[in-house]
Amino acid sequence: MPAPAAAGAAGAERAGRFARFWSANGAGYMFLAPWLIGFMVLTAGPALISLYLSLTDFDLLRPPNWVGTANYERIFTADAKFMASMRVTLFFVIFSVPLKLAFALAVAVALNRGIRGLPLYRAIFYLPSLLGTSVAIAVLWRQLFARDGLVNSFLATFGIEGPSWISHPDYALWTLIILSVWQFGSPMIIFLAGLRQIPTDMYEAASLDGASKSRQFWKITLPLLTPVIFFNAVVQTIESFKAFTPAFIISGGTGGPVNSTLFYTLYLYQEAFGFLRMGYASALAWILVVIIAAFTALSFLSSRYWVHYDD
Amino acid sequence: MTTRIDRRGVLAGAAAFGSLGALGIPAAWAQDARIRLLWWGSQNRNERTAAVIDLFTGANPGVAVEGESAGWDAYWARLATQTAGGNAPDVMQMDYRYIFEYARRGVLLALDDAMADGALDLSGFSQEAIAGGQVDGKTYGVSLGANSSTMIVSQAAFEEAGVALPEKGITWDDFAARAAELTEKAGKRGFYGSADAGGLEPTFEGWLRQRGKALYDAESKLGFDAEDATAWFAMWQAMRESGACVPADLQALDQLNIETSMVSLGHAGVSFAHSNQIVGYQGMSQTPLVMVPYPIGGPDSKPGQYLKPSMFFSLSANSGVPAEAAGFVSFFVNDPAATEVLGVERGVPESAPVREALKASLDALGQAQIDYIESLGDLAGPLPPPPPAGAGEIQFALKRINEEVGFGTPPEAGAEALISEATAILERG
Repeated sequence: MPAPAAAGAAGAERAGRFARFWSANGAGYMFLAPWLIGFMVLTAGPALISLYLSLTDFDLLRPPNWVGTANYERIFTADAKFMASMRVTLFFVIFSVPLKLAFALAVAVALNRGIRGLPLYRAIFYLPSLLGTSVAIAVLWRQLFARDGLVNSFLATFGIEGPSWISHPDYALWTLIILSVWQFGSPMIIFLAGLRQIPTDMYEAASLDGASKSRQFWKITLPLLTPVIFFNAVVQTIESFKAFTPAFIISGGTGGPVNSTLFYTLYLYQEAFGFLRMGYASALAWILVVIIAAFTALSFLSSRYWVHYDD
Repeated sequence: MTTRIDRRGVLAGAAAFGSLGALGIPAAWAQDARIRLLWWGSQNRNERTAAVIDLFTGANPGVAVEGESAGWDAYWARLATQTAGGNAPDVMQMDYRYIFEYARRGVLLALDDAMADGALDLSGFSQEAIAGGQVDGKTYGVSLGANSSTMIVSQAAFEEAGVALPEKGITWDDFAARAAELTEKAGKRGFYGSADAGGLEPTFEGWLRQRGKALYDAESKLGFDAEDATAWFAMWQAMRESGACVPADLQALDQLNIETSMVSLGHAGVSFAHSNQIVGYQGMSQTPLVMVPYPIGGPDSKPGQYLKPSMFFSLSANSGVPAEAAGFVSFFVNDPAATEVLGVERGVPESAPVREALKASLDALGQAQIDYIESLGDLAGPLPPPPPAGAGEIQFALKRINEEVGFGTPPEAGAEALISEATAILERG
């Protein structure tokens, strides 16, 4: 080899290190490859490109021009719709997640009493979660909560004349929260599994000591279930931030009436495909990523104060 | 290692070979040109368009047409995504609002050469009809039919209640009184005389033009001021209060399509629409509907409505088969059999010979459209200047602000919000 000896030695050492690394880990990476390639090409790559596009004025039809942080500056200083959509989304997250978890837990506790036909009930209660994000259910919701829908027919039997819930700015978002709570199936299944993990001798000991059922729930069930509650809370919070289909269908893509259902994702969609501002929409998307990450980090930080791990 | 072909292997091979056929592999050697076509519309339109595609491929062996359709909402997202991916359809349906944005961004093919060499025959079109598809002096769109704004009136609702139908030339004041009378005499819960068109851009534009104003002027600035907008919002607020039009929570059910319009949902006797949509509206209604021009401002009211191309066909600038695509569009607007299948569902055809030939074969709804367009007379004025970039967003803002007024914001505040938002959108472009 004509190269200087020192460089050659360094090169050989590098090659040797790589060979050692490869012989130890190569097989692992080979097994990982199908997932890794998919992640790089389908997730990480597009995400990085969108980060670049968020610094441009890309309009889908022409090549993007670099605009620096102008999109972000506009979002934070001159975009009333950004604030409006943020308010709607936060309201939705703050009410739908706790309500949904409470409902899921209540049903799970009821089902955990060893009733007959549990698999059947479990399936029935899980069903809405499978259907919930579909277009058909959103359309059904429109029918239920419209002026002459089923809900108002029911209220009319009590002599109450209800408004068109789905298209009234004071109530429209609540119908979406109810729709979300109704899809309590997946947290319920996880709660049910968590309840099964709690040793029954704890309850036996407690009832021997004369603890009431509700006291048992607050002092045994809930504390031992906190890891499961934590998991469900994180997953559902992320899901709620990303909610899109129901608002899109129910408001016809407008976020109306009066922006009352303008979810953040819906606003992002409007900017990207309605008004062809893909660069601006990319910036909105990255802000959402940061917000979700911040919420998740906060949950993890707070968890050490209220989540009890058994071991 | 020996290769053994068992029965399962043979079956798999046969299935794979069969599915090649399903993927259209044979088309690769049987046909040499493939035109991709994208349009939006109802089921009715899809059937008519598919029938014309069959006619075209029957008459032009060696050319295949691959049609794809979407609803209005999804259409623009799909077109934009396909265009961004370098995969724009060869022929695409275009709207008057979008043709400027797409043409100026270099997506569309200028058709002047194809018109000159005869591949695209528009000899039956009037000069105005061709000009409607021009951007900056070049032709980018072929009008598929003319339409105009209209009121869709439920004849049955008015007759059952014993109220006279609104007539051509009725003033806005009389219209409001007539609608309030219908609400009262019909006496049905959740049924009102008229839809609330305060958030509807074409209706606002017609009303502004009657006042001698415009939605946008030739310099792409707003053609109206806060005083106009206040009067507009106040007029609809008064109609809400008198019960002439539906309350805000009902109007908000309208998603700007035929299926959710107030007449289709049975909430009102009058909706505001475009004349070619009578076909779709009638399809949703059990009882007869008629078209009546917009109300007018009074004796010195100026023409508010105008005839416009309801939609265009445009060609992609990147099309690999521009000659065949131009031939398809030419076939679409000229061929006797094709135009008979299409009827007036996309509006009244622009080609004079086609219009003449159609008269014999039209059904009542088709005839009503031609009659309506011809009856407009001096109610129709010239085509306004092209809408500026951002017009689509302003349309959403108008709808939202009218909702705000309906739910309690004073008309003056609504007008101020509209002016400031619309100005900001236009500046941003």
